[in-house]
Amino acid sequence: MTSYFVRRFLLILPTFLGVTVLVFTLTRLVPGGPIERMLNEAAMAGADNAGATSGYDGHGAGALSDQQIEELKAYYGFDKPVLVAYADWLGKVLTLDLGTSTRYSEPVWETVKGRLPISIFYGVATLILTYGVCVPLGIVKAIRHKTAFDNLSSAVVFFGYAIPSYVVAIALLTGFAANLEWFPLGGFVSDDFDDLSGLEKAGDVASHAVLPLLSYMAGSFAVTTLLMKNSLMDNLAAEYVRTAIAKGMNFRAAVFGHALRNSLIPIATSFGNNITLIVTGSFLIEKIFNIDGFGLLGFESLVERDYPVVMGILVISSLLFLIGNILSDVCVALTDPRVKFGSGESGQ
Amino acid sequence: MLSPLAVKQWRRFRSIRRGYWSALILTATIVLSLGAELLVNSRALVVFYQGELFFPTYGAFLPGTTFGLDYDFETDYRDLKRVFAQRGEGDWVLLPPVAFNALENDLKTDSYPPYSPSLRSGHYLGTDSTGRDVLARLVYGFRTAMAFSFVLLAFNYAIGIATGCAMGFWGGAFDLLFQRLIEILNNVPTLYVIMIVASVVVPNFWTLLAVMVLLGWTQMTWYMRTSTYKEKSREYVVAARALGATSVRMIGSHILPNAISVIVTFIPFSVAGGVTLLTALDYLGFGLPPPTPSWGEMLSQGTSHLESPWIVTSVVAAMVVVLLMVTYVGEAIREAFDPKQFTYYE
Repeated sequence: MTSYFVRRFLLILPTFLGVTVLVFTLTRLVPGGPIERMLNEAAMAGADNAGATSGYDGHGAGALSDQQIEELKAYYGFDKPVLVAYADWLGKVLTLDLGTSTRYSEPVWETVKGRLPISIFYGVATLILTYGVCVPLGIVKAIRHKTAFDNLSSAVVFFGYAIPSYVVAIALLTGFAANLEWFPLGGFVSDDFDDLSGLEKAGDVASHAVLPLLSYMAGSFAVTTLLMKNSLMDNLAAEYVRTAIAKGMNFRAAVFGHALRNSLIPIATSFGNNITLIVTGSFLIEKIFNIDGFGLLGFESLVERDYPVVMGILVISSLLFLIGNILSDVCVALTDPRVKFGSGESGQ
Repeated sequence: MLSPLAVKQWRRFRSIRRGYWSALILTATIVLSLGAELLVNSRALVVFYQGELFFPTYGAFLPGTTFGLDYDFETDYRDLKRVFAQRGEGDWVLLPPVAFNALENDLKTDSYPPYSPSLRSGHYLGTDSTGRDVLARLVYGFRTAMAFSFVLLAFNYAIGIATGCAMGFWGGAFDLLFQRLIEILNNVPTLYVIMIVASVVVPNFWTLLAVMVLLGWTQMTWYMRTSTYKEKSREYVVAARALGATSVRMIGSHILPNAISVIVTFIPFSVAGGVTLLTALDYLGFGLPPPTPSWGEMLSQGTSHLESPWIVTSVVAAMVVVLLMVTYVGEAIREAFDPKQFTYYE
């Protein structure tokens, strides 16, 4: 086990370097960078085609002052050889110096840090709700396979599986917030939040959270439930469970004592990826409900062409993905004693 | 010649009614959407003018002067129909069922769009905030999304299958190198990277596709790698090698046909994924450039015009129906390839 972890962690290094190289390549896209220069030269050559591109919020040239462009150039080292610029930039990233936001004129890390609590609130709530609902539901569905309850809940699960969470979010927003007016149209809290008493505050946050949480859950609900159900059914059909039942063990003890633990292994494989959701949320859902979290910041920065924040967010999310994958592997190794590094093919 | 296994799988697929009918309806819709110009268009299907028949749907536009009107730009066929009816000289115009195209702004003089659905104006699902017909944009948006999704799938699968197969077949350093590369690509937030690129380079159909392929070709590699790896050690491949078959022959006529069959089960889910991704990008404003009709752009309009619920309702309903059907097909194919038998206890 220890040697597995050591080797797994050693492999982080090339992946980490690879990811940073990729992100660094993308930083070459920011205004003042080599890509823009190339584009400008191309645009000069074909100036006649320029008319088609203007007048759209996501695209087109942004309004950055010369001074800001100079700052970008200095931060990303456009004047240095590529390798030197990369090493310098990597050093800065590792010390959390992600540059200065052109929109807020404060360090990117400070801007990002301010948005994290909201995203983490939704991430943790989603995580608890998803596992709290999906695992028991999956177990019940597996035990009561082909009953009315199973069929009915399968319809719901299937729906959640087929429809992406942002469509669910838009449907919920239209139906329950705009039409029925049961819930607010968006935001994290109401405008008069500071005037409310403690209990009202909690109620306010909750009423704002219902629809986004449902949308978040729609994203992972179906997959987790089905995974739980199918793997438990596979295990229930396995010989060791049949043997246990044949020996006279009662069914409940066989499920919870033997089959369940093994069925949790597939669930564990995706557990680490939750860290990305917890910290970054989904910018589609944050945009739809106008929740001022990490995701919306990423989206707005891109629209406002605040590239230091954009690249900072890209760096942070990529690193979180990386950590998430490692966490998943650790979870699997902890739940599945068969995992040994390098024997992946024969073990499958 | 179909193998007995394929026949059996096809029978099983047909026996799953829900998936089978979804497949039929979807295929019919896609085929119909290829001829959308004949169903949803501002150009008339047939014009009968002074004893002569005109078919304006395809080809260069016919100026108004063709039909004795006083302008040189494209004929307004809805107007022409009224003019002919007034003249009462036996000329007639046959309009498509929906007489609007996806790009024209049909504005009224007395009010601002979006206009609500009405049978009289011919906007069966209403118009969007610039007076474009919602139904027309829905139909053309469907065609764009499907076309995009299928082309994306073709590229992703071609590259993914080739790479995965090579990784499983050669193994060793090549395998390790590509494993790292795939891991790196899987460690960046795809949607965000596409958006960053799209914010700098204004994308069109093909550049957007190229960026998505660049980030998304890894989908099939793991699966192909594992199944090539398994097939490679089977006796029939070892026998072929012993008989002196080349690598190309071993892969081409032995490993690939066996490893690839199950790929079919992934296709519907990849199609759904492509539509979802493109719509999300368009919704965020970083997808296909306007005024391309797209579901994502309509979703974005719908959510900013919640007081005109026909826009958002139409698109959400269309997306739900299409994605549900695609997933039904996917489930049915999966079921047909791998009928699961479970033991359960009474």
